[in-house]
Amino acid sequence: MKFNDVFPFSAIVGQEDLKLTLMLNAVHPGVGGVLIRGEKGTAKSTIVRGLSRLLFPIQVVTECPFSCDPLGHELCDNCKRINGNLQSRSRSQRVVTLPLNATEDRVSGGMDFNRAVKEGKKVLLPGLLAKAHRGILYVDEINLLDDHIVDIILDAASSGQNLIEREGLSFAHPACFILVGTMNPEEGDLRPQLLDRLGLCVEVESEKDPEVRMTLMEQRESFDNDPTAFRELHRADDLKLAQKITDARDLLPRVKVKKEVRLFIAELCSTNNVAGHRADIVLEQAARAHAALEGRTLVGIDDISRVAPFVLLHRKRDAAPPDQPSEPPEPDKNTKNSSKNEEPPSPRNADALNDGSEPDNENSEQELPLPPRSDSSRDQDQENQPQATGDDQDQVFEIGAAFKVKKISSPKDRHIRRGSGKRSRSRVSQKQGRYVKSTMKRVNNDVALDATLRAAAPFQKGRTIPPGLTIALKPQDIREKIREKRMGNFLVFAVDASGSMGARGRMAASKGAILSLLLDAYQKRDRVAMVSFRKTEAFVNLPPTASIELAAHYLKEMPVGGRTPLSAGLDQTHRLVNAALLKDPAIRPIVLVITDGKSNVAMGSKKPVEEALGFASIMGEDDRVKYIFVDTEPQGVVTFGIARQLALAARAEYCKMDDLKAESLMDLVHGAAEHI
Amino acid sequence: MEKRVTFPFVAIVGQEQMKLALILNIINPTLSGVLIRGEKGTAKSTAVRALAEILPKIDTVKGCLFRLSKKETLETCPECLVAMCPSKTDKGFNPVMEKSDIKVVELPVGATEDRVVGTMDLEHALKKGEKRIEPGILAAAHRGILYVDEVNLLDDHVVDVLLDSAAMGVNTIEREGLSFSHPARFTLVGTMNPEEGELRPQLLDRFGLCVNVEGAHDPEDRVAVMERRAAFDQDPQGFCNSWTGQSKILSQKIETAIKLYPKVTIERSLLFEIASFCLDVGVDGHRGDIVILKTAKTLAAFHGRTEVIKQDIDHAAQLALPHRIRRKPLQEVAGDVKTLREHNRSKKVS
Repeated sequence: MKFNDVFPFSAIVGQEDLKLTLMLNAVHPGVGGVLIRGEKGTAKSTIVRGLSRLLFPIQVVTECPFSCDPLGHELCDNCKRINGNLQSRSRSQRVVTLPLNATEDRVSGGMDFNRAVKEGKKVLLPGLLAKAHRGILYVDEINLLDDHIVDIILDAASSGQNLIEREGLSFAHPACFILVGTMNPEEGDLRPQLLDRLGLCVEVESEKDPEVRMTLMEQRESFDNDPTAFRELHRADDLKLAQKITDARDLLPRVKVKKEVRLFIAELCSTNNVAGHRADIVLEQAARAHAALEGRTLVGIDDISRVAPFVLLHRKRDAAPPDQPSEPPEPDKNTKNSSKNEEPPSPRNADALNDGSEPDNENSEQELPLPPRSDSSRDQDQENQPQATGDDQDQVFEIGAAFKVKKISSPKDRHIRRGSGKRSRSRVSQKQGRYVKSTMKRVNNDVALDATLRAAAPFQKGRTIPPGLTIALKPQDIREKIREKRMGNFLVFAVDASGSMGARGRMAASKGAILSLLLDAYQKRDRVAMVSFRKTEAFVNLPPTASIELAAHYLKEMPVGGRTPLSAGLDQTHRLVNAALLKDPAIRPIVLVITDGKSNVAMGSKKPVEEALGFASIMGEDDRVKYIFVDTEPQGVVTFGIARQLALAARAEYCKMDDLKAESLMDLVHGAAEHI
Repeated sequence: MEKRVTFPFVAIVGQEQMKLALILNIINPTLSGVLIRGEKGTAKSTAVRALAEILPKIDTVKGCLFRLSKKETLETCPECLVAMCPSKTDKGFNPVMEKSDIKVVELPVGATEDRVVGTMDLEHALKKGEKRIEPGILAAAHRGILYVDEVNLLDDHVVDVLLDSAAMGVNTIEREGLSFSHPARFTLVGTMNPEEGELRPQLLDRFGLCVNVEGAHDPEDRVAVMERRAAFDQDPQGFCNSWTGQSKILSQKIETAIKLYPKVTIERSLLFEIASFCLDVGVDGHRGDIVILKTAKTLAAFHGRTEVIKQDIDHAAQLALPHRIRRKPLQEVAGDVKTLREHNRSKKVS
């Protein structure tokens, strides 16, 4: 780094695990990189930058921008064409930082238009992957990287080669690098494929011991006051470490692994239920590097124990079966209790008959009779202690456990939008995202060079070429890029807060579901709004806002009780969504209606459920809005399935509350889903 | 050209914490800026713009769009791709220095990444075949103040770029065939209204200090605000003149503090106090400790002392910790740190 002084690696206080994993990689790049998870402010970037000073020099082919190894087997297309001896020189390994504003053509390489325009040649301008070859690629906040850039890096990391097929160029060059990424787990997880690609994983935390913290502060102050002197002070230590790494690298080819040790590795990995065999391989290589660092040629159990935590942390899975969904109820018990005065025996006796009056309705018409008032007060919830507020029997339930939600996104369309986020793919007006097409429209100077050149090519004969160039370009040749990336959405929650929801943990579970969706919305950068309906009308609890904190706050305080004015709720939601669409026609609202569907208050003269169904079909006609009905009606012998009917009428997606959980069996097989 | 008269910094009523946070950042630019949270109409923009008037002047290369100092020219200029640099001659390189004001650069809400980071003038490049950089806002803000209004409404990518540059002191451009870095050390001042949504925790952590502002509660103060504003609107120059004396005193105080800062020392026991404060209150990482240390020393220098005392630490903690306290993504940002610390301590004991 030219402009700022690098803090010496050996001077860093604590973080021994992180330093070890980085050194293992420096000794043996085959270990496969490091993922650094943890709190902010723990010297992650500082350590990686300090590492660059410790790396040993390598031999590269002179003048080759791809840092080809003169003695190696894999050469870039250019070097391959040179027969005979390749000239080489020595240089230090590089730490290449992937900046947050990197565009795809800079990461994998693009056309060098200087030469295109001046010499008329199609030449590749090497990107960051070329620069990082045989060095370290450092990606800060790797979990926030755009998907398409992650894909490029993944491809190169897995095949060891960067294949460029874009903008009219076709080129391949080797790209083996040590990938070091940092992330804060609160912001979202890494895709499982990328997770597995990273050899080691370290959790970093801050030091808890005040003495250590004081030393850290003193060090930082003295570095800031006089960086050069500070570095001088630690130069000897740094040199010692660098020597240790070089010696280890030289020793590495002679490090052997005995069969018993390999067996131990295999057992360890299978006990931890890792997916695939990469863990075994990485563990062996890491242990060898560790032995080499210690100066031994035989790998022992200690080496394995020392490095195993880093290899298994992000790969191990629990073999236990997933939680059982609500068991089907015992029918005989409940049909007999038509008027339930006692508390239900357990929440798992999930059925629809909480109010006690419903069994009588099996044969009656659609309309549900008003449940007797007294029943709502008897909605005792074994799992939660509701705080009864006021004398209208409002109850406020605690929020149930949160879980990871499944993917919900809007379909792609042609609208051009601005924004950031991770939910739905959209065409964007900013200069980010994947280049998908070119267009003649001139909007923001995001020039698509290849398309421009192609447009100008047929007319070259008739034009005079300016001196110094080989191509004559006119303004009408210029083409711009259309890019696509993921963005956040507008999420509206329409929550049924009536008394029927208060039974048997349903409200708590609903709030848990909403909280999970909010956490997901936070990670995906969505805007949210909240509408609730109970008693006789619907309230807009939260007008559209980006503040997920406010949403969580209202969610906590939301009282429950009263009848179910479903149509009022739908109406209010519809109005809110339309107002938002008026303001910004390009947004794509996603409305989640969380209810059991048992409407018993109508706005007009129709029967409640009929009215609600009518509203639903009107709402469903608007293609711009996506509706999802979340059915909170528990499994039971008798289910009314009104929510499903509503979903049908609204041409909406339908799911049961349990289905929101990403932890369905399929997912569990493929990866570990974490409880938030 | 007649310079527009700005409302004097010292004439702003109240908002002592905000003014202090800004002043501390001038004395010690390594404090990494201020995040001002609060309602509108509380003199946030006024304070930042007024600040520029009392700042000392700096030496820059004449005509340099990157506002480099003499030392920095050695590294950047040889690779610089701005065609219009007057210091570049065929024979070599002899930069002419001049004294200029510290600039306050405002970042508009709708700013896109390429305006912030800098971009290549593609049309020029396509027509003439040579690369030319258009420096972005980060270049203009180097060695100055970057004022970002409504920082929580910016696109994530833009905020990332800002904070990355602010932390590392370098702006690296890797886009559209352009690969270039230049120094970008600036004091970042951001404002936000919490009701519009919070910043991500990592981004919050990068802001050195954080102050909450509200409107004045005392009617006397409110009257003073109105009176002064009316007087300023009626006769801007005259109003400023009446405050010149106080402005000069403040400038002097700042300059003295800048000179005094390297000599400030702190006892080891007070370092322990800082560490235990952070542990009691619960912050992520070590940035909190480091910022409190620097802030406390800067406070001591500002008050004319060479020795840090306990009050400095308490004050510094209140400025540096509220936005760092560990919380889940949906919790609210803390208010008073000291009470929080007492509360946590008593919880531990009981």
